[in-house]
Amino acid sequence: MRISDRISGVFLALLGAAAFWGGSRLPPVPGQQVGPSAFPMVVGSGLIIVGILIALHIGRSFEEQAEAELAEHSQPDPEAEAFQRRRRWLAFLPPALMVAYYFLSERVGFVPVAAVMIAILAFTLNAKRSLILPVSIFGALAIHLVFVKLLRVPLPPGPLPMPW
Amino acid sequence: MSSSFLAAFPLVFTQDVLIAMIASAIYGMVVGALPGLTATMATALLVPVTFYLSPIAAIATIITSSAMAIFAGDIPGCLVRIPGTPASAAYTDEAYKMTLKGQAETALGICLWFSALGGIVGTIALVLIAPALAEVALSFSTFEYFWLAILGLMCSTLVARSSPVKAIAAMLLGLLVSCIGIENPAGTPRFTFGSTDLLGGIDAIAALVGVFALAEVMRAVTQKDPPSIPDRKLGSILKGQIELTKRYPKQQIRGNIVGTLIGALPGAGADMAAWVSYSLSKRFSKEREKFGTGHPEGLVEAGASNNAALAGGWIPALLFGIPGDTITAIAIGVLYMKGLNPGPTLFTEKASSMYALYIIFLLANLLMIPLGIAMIRISKHVLKAPRSLIMPVIMVFCAVGAFSAAGNNLYAVLIVAFFGIAGYLMEENGFPVAAMVLGIVMGTMVEQNFVTSLIKSDGSILPFLSRPIAAFLAFLTFIALFWPLIAWLRRYKASLDAAAPAR
Repeated sequence: MRISDRISGVFLALLGAAAFWGGSRLPPVPGQQVGPSAFPMVVGSGLIIVGILIALHIGRSFEEQAEAELAEHSQPDPEAEAFQRRRRWLAFLPPALMVAYYFLSERVGFVPVAAVMIAILAFTLNAKRSLILPVSIFGALAIHLVFVKLLRVPLPPGPLPMPW
Repeated sequence: MSSSFLAAFPLVFTQDVLIAMIASAIYGMVVGALPGLTATMATALLVPVTFYLSPIAAIATIITSSAMAIFAGDIPGCLVRIPGTPASAAYTDEAYKMTLKGQAETALGICLWFSALGGIVGTIALVLIAPALAEVALSFSTFEYFWLAILGLMCSTLVARSSPVKAIAAMLLGLLVSCIGIENPAGTPRFTFGSTDLLGGIDAIAALVGVFALAEVMRAVTQKDPPSIPDRKLGSILKGQIELTKRYPKQQIRGNIVGTLIGALPGAGADMAAWVSYSLSKRFSKEREKFGTGHPEGLVEAGASNNAALAGGWIPALLFGIPGDTITAIAIGVLYMKGLNPGPTLFTEKASSMYALYIIFLLANLLMIPLGIAMIRISKHVLKAPRSLIMPVIMVFCAVGAFSAAGNNLYAVLIVAFFGIAGYLMEENGFPVAAMVLGIVMGTMVEQNFVTSLIKSDGSILPFLSRPIAAFLAFLTFIALFWPLIAWLRRYKASLDAAAPAR
């Protein structure tokens, strides 16, 4: 998903300004000239400068050069590009599922949440329908077994405790 | 020296280390061979497992799996023209052309043979360079460490194959992320917005899992399935490799040296080494016209280079805690966790552990040859594994792995999601994620040395430049900072000169 350099540059500059301002408000260490505010302020000023440079398209020629070099090594595939454009919003499905895991896993338990996550993403990736159900259930159980039993990671059990 | 060298053998040749090496070798081979799964991702997902291993076994899994993954990435490149890892991308075309000419086994053999040789030479370089540099580094004060860290960060922006301005922006974002939490010289909560989870800072491993693993899963959603692998009978893999070694000795050695150096440069790893070595090989070749038609020369040099880069990456990581590539960025976290804190004293106080590390490197590269042949033989079955089922399972691994790496904190799952989105958007828009990762990993170190130096100097800038080594490092840093400008001016002038006769 492409974002124009103007937008990303302005965003970075604003973020830098926020870091500078937030850093400057940190309490100093008594008796010392430099404290916790110095570093965020330096980083923030840097971000303001590069943000403005990016918004002005400075350094773009280097990117074009790298892209041309890459294009030399691969053939254009309009079908793949169209596919990519069509599904650009779907790319955010995996992180959305992770957020769902954050909210649900303790209430519902690891195995059901993980199985549903695997099934949803496998479906989106056009996996063979007959394989989705066995892989999601078996995959969730296997990960639970390895992490809980072998690595002793306390994954949330939920209302349905596992036999191990 | 010899006593710690001898003491290293029993550290390596124990049951748990050897089993860990073989298991991680198979894991690395499979992950590397599957397109879309990278060597860095393999390492990031290994971290929760390393918690439960002895220090030497933990390091062994990282070294072994990454070496195997970089080689195995060449297999789908040769057979279906899709690089298994980005490190193979530079010469995928060349290798595939050889396959089309009916020389698939020779192409795969070159990748395997010169990968193993490259890894071994890289290891020798590590053995020779690191202890010598450690002697010098013992006299470093915070001023030198400050410049060294800044120079490392600047290198990571220089080597990015993108706009240097965007690379610096990515690096600064990483440094800003490292500001979050109370781990700063005053112990003041910074940018925590009242959240107790943010007090401890952003867990670096969780962020790395997001950037290198979840972002890859996100990308898979927008990409079509790779074509299936055609059935092909393969002859002897290693046949003719000795002859090629004799025919291209210069290319191989140049690949090894360039690979090790690029590996040692912070932020630049195996993929960069392969690109540079392939183009160097083409530039200095006597048969330049044959490049791109299935010619082994470039393959020899680039194959020798990307595996040498792996060992090179460990040089700054072990000496200064500055990661040489994205794999060692993760490995540094594991080193700290296992009590092997990076620094020049590591080579004196934990000398036997260091020798053990060298032995593991050599062993891993020797193990690569038989395991690599086996992997090539079964690759057509491994490559049949449907991506549509692997990626969902990896997504769950991201959640569970980050959770356990962050001390069983569910909050890490949100960090993975956030950095997955950030890494995906950055990569799509030309912001190199490796530079950001270096910023996150090195931020605390940069700030500590910066603030301590300023306190020592009473706020004066002068001592930053008055010590000879510090001044030299500062000089290099400014060259790195202004190099893109110089390159741009030269190119601009060349284009003016080219246009002048036309007028």
